[in-house]
Amino acid sequence: MIDPVTSDRAIHRVLFVLLAAALLFLQLLPLSTMPSRVPGPDLLLCLAFAWLQRRPDYLPPLLFAGVFLTADMLLMRPPGLWTALALGGGEFLRSRHNTSTELSFPAEWAFTAVVIGAITTAYVLVLNLLAVDHARPAMAFVQAIMTVAVYPAVVFLCRSVFNLRRLTKAEMDTQRMQR
Amino acid sequence: MARDRNNQADYMRPIRNIVIGVLCFCLTGLFLIWRIDSPRVERFRAALVDAIVPSFDWALTPVTKVAGMVDDFQSYTRIYEQNQELRRELRQMKAWKEAALQLEQENAKLLDLNKVRLDPQLTYITGVVLADSGSPFHQSVLLNVGARDGIIDGWATTDGLGLVGRISGVGQNSARVILLTDSNSRIPVTILPSGQRAILAGDNTAAPPIEFLENPDAIRPGDQVVSSGDGGVFPAGLLVGQIALGADRRIRVRMAADYERLEFLRVLRSHGNEVIGDTGGLVAPSPIGPPMTTDLSAAEGTE
Repeated sequence: MIDPVTSDRAIHRVLFVLLAAALLFLQLLPLSTMPSRVPGPDLLLCLAFAWLQRRPDYLPPLLFAGVFLTADMLLMRPPGLWTALALGGGEFLRSRHNTSTELSFPAEWAFTAVVIGAITTAYVLVLNLLAVDHARPAMAFVQAIMTVAVYPAVVFLCRSVFNLRRLTKAEMDTQRMQR
Repeated sequence: MARDRNNQADYMRPIRNIVIGVLCFCLTGLFLIWRIDSPRVERFRAALVDAIVPSFDWALTPVTKVAGMVDDFQSYTRIYEQNQELRRELRQMKAWKEAALQLEQENAKLLDLNKVRLDPQLTYITGVVLADSGSPFHQSVLLNVGARDGIIDGWATTDGLGLVGRISGVGQNSARVILLTDSNSRIPVTILPSGQRAILAGDNTAAPPIEFLENPDAIRPGDQVVSSGDGGVFPAGLLVGQIALGADRRIRVRMAADYERLEFLRVLRSHGNEVIGDTGGLVAPSPIGPPMTTDLSAAEGTE
């Protein structure tokens, strides 16, 4: 008999992979091949950070890196760089989650915004430093702002549809006991 | 309880940190390898995309079609205006058609008089657009034809009317087309009435600018832009678009291809022009009489 905590965790990990695949699929649809004026938000990053700050145990670093590296490869980004930065940012958010469980949503949003801004800056800096041809760096920041703007919506969806919420202290302790 | 949790963390944390450190190191390494030896990693990427995306073909095509239908349905709401617009355009087109027919006849007559040998017609392979780049910073599409169909890197792609892009990255069953609007795209073009050579440099906008233009005064909006075939990159004479003045006062090109809806693309087979390297040897008269004996003895020696 598989204990419910483990199976629940496995289900949610699979669910994350499926969601990421669906997002990539939607992005790859050749609906409009015109260059867009304003880049849309990076929904995958939003989703990953929302999961990470709700339930860190649902998104281990290896899974995180695997999903982002696949996205890097499929979306024609320089492979590895965005994944490494997102992983670093994600781990920072995860470490914050460990220290204080009770964090109001605005504070969490602000922290996420800072992390997204920081990794975008680092990304643009590294690309410029290594002279990688990158279209209009200002657009990367516009995308970061869009990403931060849709973050609450993504969190709301995760909470309402996938019933993803933070564990209370008691639940966390029972989980640790079972492990 | 609190101490308990700390104990748990004490031995878990170093392992986690090591895993994350190794991951970050590998990822950064991958990025640096890509920066140093880009073609190899890009080949790997093409193979990966080739393995993943065509397997979604069954889902990609219907969803795209349904979205297209929704778009079409929305356009019914302004069908009256569209009809008027089309009638107007049709009247103009009739005038053009007349002019074209006359010119065609004249052209045929002149060619006949001159015995001109034109470039052979290019043959092509048509592919369906499977997916686009999926990122706002890259403009490319994925076709469902690949090395299996004989596609080779660098071939030109059109949508039947105008140039769309060039093949860059070929998998077994898929090929990526870098669009002319991508920021990495540079193609040599000729601007027609004045015959000036320039470079069309994509910059991730719908109308890419013209660069390295010798005399900007000699061209005006509406001039035709065709590929020049310089450097053997593309076959010459493919229509690219029309000159237009951008909002930023730069000379830009309004593309002839319909970038709004790329569905089927033609990949033109180009075999490269023959290059004449030397000035040619001396034309000697052919020897008369029996063949020389040295050749015979040499032949016997080998037997």
